[in-house]
Amino acid sequence: MTKTPAFRSKILVLSVCLLIFPLVFSDAFYRDIGVTVILAAISASAWNIVGGYAGQVSVGHSMFYGIGAYTPLLFYQLWGWSPMVGIPIGIILSIVLAIIVGTPTFRLTGHYFSMATIAVAELIRIFTGTWDFVGAAIGLQGPATARGWWDLTFRGELPYYYIFLGVLAVLLYVTYAVEQRKFGYYLRAIKTGERAARSLGVPVRQTKIKALMLSAAFTSIAGSLYSIKTGFIDPESGFGILVSVQMVIIAALGGAGTLFGPLLGAIILVPLQTATNTWFGGGGSGLTYIFYGGIIVLIARFEPGGLFELWDRIAPARWRRSHAA
Amino acid sequence: MLLEAQAVSKAFGNFRAVSDADISVDTGEIIGLIGPNGAGKSTFFNCLAGDATPTGGRIIFADQDVTNASPEAHARLGIGRTFQVPATFEDMSVLDNVMVGAFLRHPHRNDAREHALRTLELTGLKAQAHQGARSLGTPGRKRLEIARVLATDPRLMLLDEALAGLTPTELQDAIKLVRRIHEMGVTLVIVEHIMEVIMTLTRRVLVFNQGHVIASGKPEDVVKDETVITAYLGHGHRRRRGDA
Repeated sequence: MTKTPAFRSKILVLSVCLLIFPLVFSDAFYRDIGVTVILAAISASAWNIVGGYAGQVSVGHSMFYGIGAYTPLLFYQLWGWSPMVGIPIGIILSIVLAIIVGTPTFRLTGHYFSMATIAVAELIRIFTGTWDFVGAAIGLQGPATARGWWDLTFRGELPYYYIFLGVLAVLLYVTYAVEQRKFGYYLRAIKTGERAARSLGVPVRQTKIKALMLSAAFTSIAGSLYSIKTGFIDPESGFGILVSVQMVIIAALGGAGTLFGPLLGAIILVPLQTATNTWFGGGGSGLTYIFYGGIIVLIARFEPGGLFELWDRIAPARWRRSHAA
Repeated sequence: MLLEAQAVSKAFGNFRAVSDADISVDTGEIIGLIGPNGAGKSTFFNCLAGDATPTGGRIIFADQDVTNASPEAHARLGIGRTFQVPATFEDMSVLDNVMVGAFLRHPHRNDAREHALRTLELTGLKAQAHQGARSLGTPGRKRLEIARVLATDPRLMLLDEALAGLTPTELQDAIKLVRRIHEMGVTLVIVEHIMEVIMTLTRRVLVFNQGHVIASGKPEDVVKDETVITAYLGHGHRRRRGDA
């Protein structure tokens, strides 16, 4: 899977487009959409490591997102610390949770693993909603005005956009590095055939747990970025099932198990969501579920490999993804 | 002795799929396991490969007790297996499939890739290296499975009907490939229904029926064994032949 010069030139074009987007679309509304797209791409790309590459479909990734979202604001509320302090702590807690959840649940396969992750995430959501220490159902708030750059509280969207873009770039590079190594080959082998992988000496459970840990760490960062930007978090926006489902759908829409699939999914889905929210306003909040459900049905029925696979099938050969070894 | 199974049994509830089966394999041998459908060959085979844990007896490989060892541990020790229904990694290229096996002894990507390419050349798949595994037909997939296992540098290869479903020409090529692997110093245990394969490749066969080893010895002797003939054809075969 060595990437060819054509692949590198596509990366360059994509990078330039992402870098100049907020400069071309300087309206706050479009910049906000841009930030939301990048944040959704980070979450979905983080999910993609375990759900896409390893084929272990977690529908409870909000457990890591929520932890990442809560810790920065919790440290701020308790001791007035910079929300940045909470980011690494959120990562550590998420990795620990990944080990705790992964060790027993990776004995399960297929739908059982997915159901177990939903159950754990929902338990955490319900527990958080009744725990006064973390603000119970009301949630937590961040600094209203910045005391300094270290609060990461900005008036405009532009700084958030570039910070988030930097995190996305790091995550995609890490994912690319994973793809190129033994670990990445093992993940893809596990996805297609665990029994065969095991017979070739692949330590299946350890590999899955490592993937979950890596995925949890980046999902936690996504959660932290979200709560720092919005300055608020509650159980539903941190640990809610829609948070998990959105990651799955965005990755699946673009192409789960591909490097840029989640980014493509976010670029398509987030503006669509914004459009439906704009058209229907608050009265259409339940539509999100219908919308997600419809996308799941369409992907499962017509294009399980996502848009990247569809592209590989219909595009002229010279435009297809270059995965030649 | 490279592999020794002593009184190996495997039961599923009250059903005993394998009962007190013994096998001993010396380094450099090619041994055949034959028997009618449902005789317990595959279950015994799974026990040898670590895919099933025996409910009785023990299995020793290279002086180590591997009775309860995982399939991963078997692979690390040098036991490789193919599957009756080819279990290739469909979403990966032929080369990537073999690299998964090569990573066992070559952790770095470039080394694994070189090793995988050498293995593909040996198994006659180099021209298809960059094709998707799903694009291969049955013979190609069977060959790919063998290549993938071979890339793990096994000391013992367990081939589960790896040559079934091939045309006569493909079969001859596959037999040549197995011979080449054997010449490389790999010991082989082959489960096969095609007697041509057994008669051509093996010097010793074990015959399974209803979970028991009912006969063992040279292939040419075993095929004449009355117990073996009865196991395949049933008790009425003499009468039908007009012997009785």
